[in-house]
Amino acid sequence: MIFSLVAVGILAIATPLLTRWLKARVFWLIALAPAALFGITLAQAPGVLAGTPVTETFPWIPQLGIELSFRMDPLALLLALIVTGVGALVLAYCARYFSDDEPGLGRFAALLLAFAGVMYGLVTSDDVIVMFVFWEATSVLSYLLIGHNTGRKSSRGAALQALTVTTFGGLAMLVGIVMLVMASGTTSITEIVANPVGGTLGQVAIVLVLLGALSKSALVPFHFWLPAAMAAPTPVSAYLHAAAMVKAGIYIIARFAPGYADQPLWQPLLVTIGVLTMLVGGWRAMRQYDLKLILAYGTVSQLGFLTIMLGFGTRDAALAGAALLLAHALYKATLFLVVGIIDHATGTRDWRKLSGLGRRMPVLAVIASIAVASMAGLPPLLGFVAKESVFASLLEATSGGAGQSEFWAWFALVGVVLGSVLTVAYSLRFIWGAFSTKADVGAIQLHNTGFGILTAPLVLSLATIGGGVAAGTVDALVAPYADTLPGPHEQHLALWHGFEPALAISAGVLLLGFVLMRRRRQVARLQAKLPQAVDAGREYVQFMRALDRFAAALTTRIQRGGLPAYLAVIIGVFVLGLGLSAALNRSWPEGVVPWDYAVQPFIALVMGMAAIGAAIAGHRMTAVLLVGVTGYGLVLLFAMGGAPDLALTQALVETLTVVVFVLVLRRLPQQIAARNKAVRKGLRAALGILAGTVMAVIAVIALGAREAASISAELPALAAEAHGKNIVNVMLVDIRAWDTMGEIAVLVAVATGVASLVFISGRAAPVERMEGGGERRNRPVLNSSAVSRQTWLLAGRTLSPQNRSIIIEVLVRLLFHPAIIVSIYLLFVGHNQPGGGFAGGLLAGLALVARYLAGGRYELAEAVPIDAGKLLGTGLLLAVGTALSSMFFGLQVLESSWFEASIPVLGEISIGTSTIFDIGVYLVVFGLVLDILRSLGSEVDRQQEDQEDDEEDAEYARPSTSDTNPAKPNQAEGGSR
Amino acid sequence: MPELIPLMVLIPLIAAALTVIFGRQPRLQVAISSTALTATVAISAVQIALIDQNGPAVVAVGGWAAPWGIALVVDRLSAIMLLISAIMLLGVLIYSIGQGVADRHRETPVSIFHPSYLILSAGVFTTFIAGDLFNLYVGFEVLLASSYVLLTLGGTGERIRAGVTYIIVSLVSSLFFLASIALIYGATGTVNMAQLSVRLGELPADVQLVLHVLLLIGFGIKAAVFPLSFWLPDSYPTAPAPVTAVFAGLLTKVGVYALIRTETVLFAGHDLSALFLVIGSLTMIVGILGALAQADIKRLLSFTLVSHIGYMLFGIGLATTLGLAATIYYVVHHITVQTTLFLTTGLIERTGGATSINRLAGLLKASPLVAILFFIPALNLGGIPPFSGFIGKVGLFMAGAAAPSPLVWIGIAAGAITSLLTLYALTRFWNMAFWRGKGELKGYESVLIESLQEAPEAPDASVAVKTRTVPATMLAVTAGMVALTVALTVFAGPLFGIAERAAEDLKTPAFYIDTVFPGGVQ
Repeated sequence: MIFSLVAVGILAIATPLLTRWLKARVFWLIALAPAALFGITLAQAPGVLAGTPVTETFPWIPQLGIELSFRMDPLALLLALIVTGVGALVLAYCARYFSDDEPGLGRFAALLLAFAGVMYGLVTSDDVIVMFVFWEATSVLSYLLIGHNTGRKSSRGAALQALTVTTFGGLAMLVGIVMLVMASGTTSITEIVANPVGGTLGQVAIVLVLLGALSKSALVPFHFWLPAAMAAPTPVSAYLHAAAMVKAGIYIIARFAPGYADQPLWQPLLVTIGVLTMLVGGWRAMRQYDLKLILAYGTVSQLGFLTIMLGFGTRDAALAGAALLLAHALYKATLFLVVGIIDHATGTRDWRKLSGLGRRMPVLAVIASIAVASMAGLPPLLGFVAKESVFASLLEATSGGAGQSEFWAWFALVGVVLGSVLTVAYSLRFIWGAFSTKADVGAIQLHNTGFGILTAPLVLSLATIGGGVAAGTVDALVAPYADTLPGPHEQHLALWHGFEPALAISAGVLLLGFVLMRRRRQVARLQAKLPQAVDAGREYVQFMRALDRFAAALTTRIQRGGLPAYLAVIIGVFVLGLGLSAALNRSWPEGVVPWDYAVQPFIALVMGMAAIGAAIAGHRMTAVLLVGVTGYGLVLLFAMGGAPDLALTQALVETLTVVVFVLVLRRLPQQIAARNKAVRKGLRAALGILAGTVMAVIAVIALGAREAASISAELPALAAEAHGKNIVNVMLVDIRAWDTMGEIAVLVAVATGVASLVFISGRAAPVERMEGGGERRNRPVLNSSAVSRQTWLLAGRTLSPQNRSIIIEVLVRLLFHPAIIVSIYLLFVGHNQPGGGFAGGLLAGLALVARYLAGGRYELAEAVPIDAGKLLGTGLLLAVGTALSSMFFGLQVLESSWFEASIPVLGEISIGTSTIFDIGVYLVVFGLVLDILRSLGSEVDRQQEDQEDDEEDAEYARPSTSDTNPAKPNQAEGGSR
Repeated sequence: MPELIPLMVLIPLIAAALTVIFGRQPRLQVAISSTALTATVAISAVQIALIDQNGPAVVAVGGWAAPWGIALVVDRLSAIMLLISAIMLLGVLIYSIGQGVADRHRETPVSIFHPSYLILSAGVFTTFIAGDLFNLYVGFEVLLASSYVLLTLGGTGERIRAGVTYIIVSLVSSLFFLASIALIYGATGTVNMAQLSVRLGELPADVQLVLHVLLLIGFGIKAAVFPLSFWLPDSYPTAPAPVTAVFAGLLTKVGVYALIRTETVLFAGHDLSALFLVIGSLTMIVGILGALAQADIKRLLSFTLVSHIGYMLFGIGLATTLGLAATIYYVVHHITVQTTLFLTTGLIERTGGATSINRLAGLLKASPLVAILFFIPALNLGGIPPFSGFIGKVGLFMAGAAAPSPLVWIGIAAGAITSLLTLYALTRFWNMAFWRGKGELKGYESVLIESLQEAPEAPDASVAVKTRTVPATMLAVTAGMVALTVALTVFAGPLFGIAERAAEDLKTPAFYIDTVFPGGVQ
């Protein structure tokens, strides 16, 4: 069975390709696949019916107990025969039904073939999860097949509706299945049925499973999707929506009935829904003008019928139900195919436009009549045999058996009789509508359809006759399944049982049905007067609309697209969550030391005031400077806390940050936009203060809870081991160098990001030095300062005189090189004294800042005529390379080695690989500063100059020459952003 | 072979350094980054085989023993995360190279993209191997810093606006994370995770609650957990398709990974599973309702991303071995399928010239291949069997049914509804974009939400759509990714096997502690 499925799958995948050269003839080829499966199944039949099921197992997900296990037992056999037999015939029919130029033919053929395979898998799989896999696969394939005419809105909508409804049921079923699996400890359907799960859990589970069955088999209240699905091409309707897929739900009912039919909810639920569906479907079928819709509602009705019989729960009812299942598949598929031929020949399916087809298409009329007769329950056809058996078994049940409720037997019997009357009526309506000669309807031009297309319906109707005449064979086929249910073994299928009550009921039903058809005008009037009892289709649409509206309303409400709102939610969650946690806290520290030294609260106060000031500041510059104050406050705290390294680094970072802010602020409006109302401001202030308070409170809780000793006690000893006295630096470049490596990667990323935003196209453009565009661009400046031959700074003359300050130039000139030397000193002594690569790099960066501020962008280019990217890259490479190279010496990653040396001025130092690492850090930090100056400084300068130049050019109304550097075509555009 | 562990970070970083240095040679950059990421895939593949067989590996960086030095720990969970993210990163890289070759100089400048992307990779890998809470933070910072760059690539107004939301929210989450590290260090005197596992457990339960909740808020923002998730659909969709793909696939899952570690290592003894179940259900439902309201496929997918995080929260909240195993499987599934769908969206954007159902139609006719590449992962995300989304879901449901409680049943119901609505939202998009004919497009205006509500320049529907040919590389990579999603089904057995073994390790915190401190911890 696994092999067959794989083979069908491969063939289905190949089908679109085959269709390219076989065109519609491809259907002959692919029909062979289900035909072969039919043959194989038939060959397995004797053994299976004799009581030895065929099984196959292949492991899949053992952790969840899921395995690809298949089991061909009598019930599977019956359905497999229907699925493959009808499948082969429908596929063969398609070869004639479709023309070679049908759009999407290859896709259609592949999907239909895949469906046959999937359906076969569904009925043969024994693992309940695998069964569900096939179950959902049929839903998806049905979706794709209903939507075959993709250009029609109605067919797209019907496809989506069918998918949504059946998947809804499917998911309910999945939950039920999971409950059954977990409760019974196995995924084998055979075992789940053999050892039914009881109790509330079992009942809930089985109702959920039935929910899936109801939605799949289009039972009330899910019946509405099936008539809409008639938008599909007729072969799809014949196969999926009559013979195969809609039987899946019935199959599940039949499958679980032996184990679960005696659960208290089972019979009432299924019989009620079955009767309701049978009546609603039949009633609706009687008012349709579209032949296909008569059949569709008829199918709904018959599915209700099947549900009653197979869900009833006795052996004899199941026997009748199984026979009915077969009969229905045969006649309903035939009738759909007949409608397809009529549609093809006349171009319509509306019987009000059809007249005289009986005379003009006699063979078709005979085939259709046989099928309709079977549907109505006329002898000697299979439908009659099945219906006789239905009446007999229900009559038998009304006398009450062991544990059987007489009420439900009577209810079912009355429902079935009424439903059958309706069935007779709409059967007659169908055959009369399609084939009669109507006086007031003109003849329609017929297209020649050929005789080949009649093959499939002919074979099917022969089977209908055969099933009736050889009722004993059918009995042999379905009885082994029926025997798995409890109840008396009194019934067997036969064409002639003698004069029994059932025969009388049959006759009565036929008579009444005939009367109903004769009185169709009165019936139609009555139907028009009665309100539509159950129209779940409308409810579905309304529900989905309401859901969409609700979703949109909810989403617009919470997803306002505003950062402040999102932040408020986040901070609100923090305040609530931790406020609550803190309120629940009982482990408060016994004593709290308010401050370590007298200045501490004062520093904190200043920082707090600066922070508040920054939040309410109106000018950007003020806000930046106030933020700077909080930073310097931190410097003091570090310094007082005995961490000179941190203080030094923090001071440098803070200074640099202010400079960077100032560079950025040049291009931003001075004022901070104040759009918020006073109320909002108050709320935000309150939230902010609450958040701060909560943070302070939880800090007290957390820090007061310390019991264990800190690992930091060991650090001085470890630092000595690392040849260093400066613990902070040893931590940074050795013990926790892995963190540092990550942090310098952050710096590289940030530098890249700044360059990305400012340069847009990347920082890869060559450094623009003085002898390049500089002189040209600064024509006026250069002319006015031509006198100054000797300058303190190289690029000083590129600045306009108003922008120059000789004192600053001198100072920078004097300080730059010492600063660089000190930065290198800091780098090397860092291991033992305050300093290190980070601080060194920052100091060097600040020196660069000074040169830029004093001398402008050309000065910067002269000071470091290298691409910042090269520095950043080299720095990162050095650091990461150190990490990597130690691995080549058999050491751990980042493990250090040392070389002791005595160097004048610096004294006794030990150069370790960690020093190389630190050089990398230095370079990255320096590169970052350079990159920021290049982007936020020079590039912004240049864009501003460009803008001014452009304005100037516009003023002089000169034709705009190519003013931008050809190497950077995007800059002008970038600058305007 | 523990030596392999640091290589996962060192190789991308060296490559990043080289691509920065060779910023002007795009071809060389392409060669460097693809070589580096191929190497990480190979290493993580070898590593997962070794670790599954021999047990977890630990590296004491610099030879400094934990808890003073940083321990890098790779157990089965880490190995799984490393392998799947390495594959995703490589796939998306090749895809974007394919895209970049086709439209050079557009909104994806190569000299910025490669280093940032490599640093992002290094950051992602760092978080998965961190055995030290502060190092985990560093990993987050590395990946976030580079993600800022990637999100604002090209610097268009829309991206900058999205970037501001993203960056500020991320900074706030980092602030919470950093604060919780400070408080945890304050309360326990260590940041080594194995040692924390012991020491946090020794704290009074109410102090644990404070620290636990604080850490969860930080991670919850990163993992996009309701109600901390609103930022995500407003920031991810604006980036270039491959960037969104990798963000959607990996970044939130890094948050989920951190949540798993929090619940199994750090606070193994402090149970907040009820919270996870409640929040998980809410995340699923609110997220998927958001998806239903979207007209734009990128935004729609971003909402499903948030929604499906709920499944993982549910699994973590079950706090059973099976629950964790299913969660790990679901994480792998979700990384793959979300990445794939965003890559397909890139193809849709090229073939159809738009991403909104107001302007997309006739794609099935235009490109049947793209249609297949969308349909399969869409079904997968919708939880249709036999795809991995279904297997993950069944695993989670089974785990739930094995540990029943009212909250669990609510979670299962929420999961089923979410699955249905995901399928509905995606097939509705399929109906419109793929099935509908181009002729029906005229005058069509859906009632769904088109874009970010505050965006002033709503996309103009009257602008003629520009379609471009799809380079073969992009198609091939997407097809490969779709094949990978299918492989998650075919090899569900072995995959679930290792996920279950990983979950067993996680359920015994002593296992993790013994791995880092074989001789016992003080």
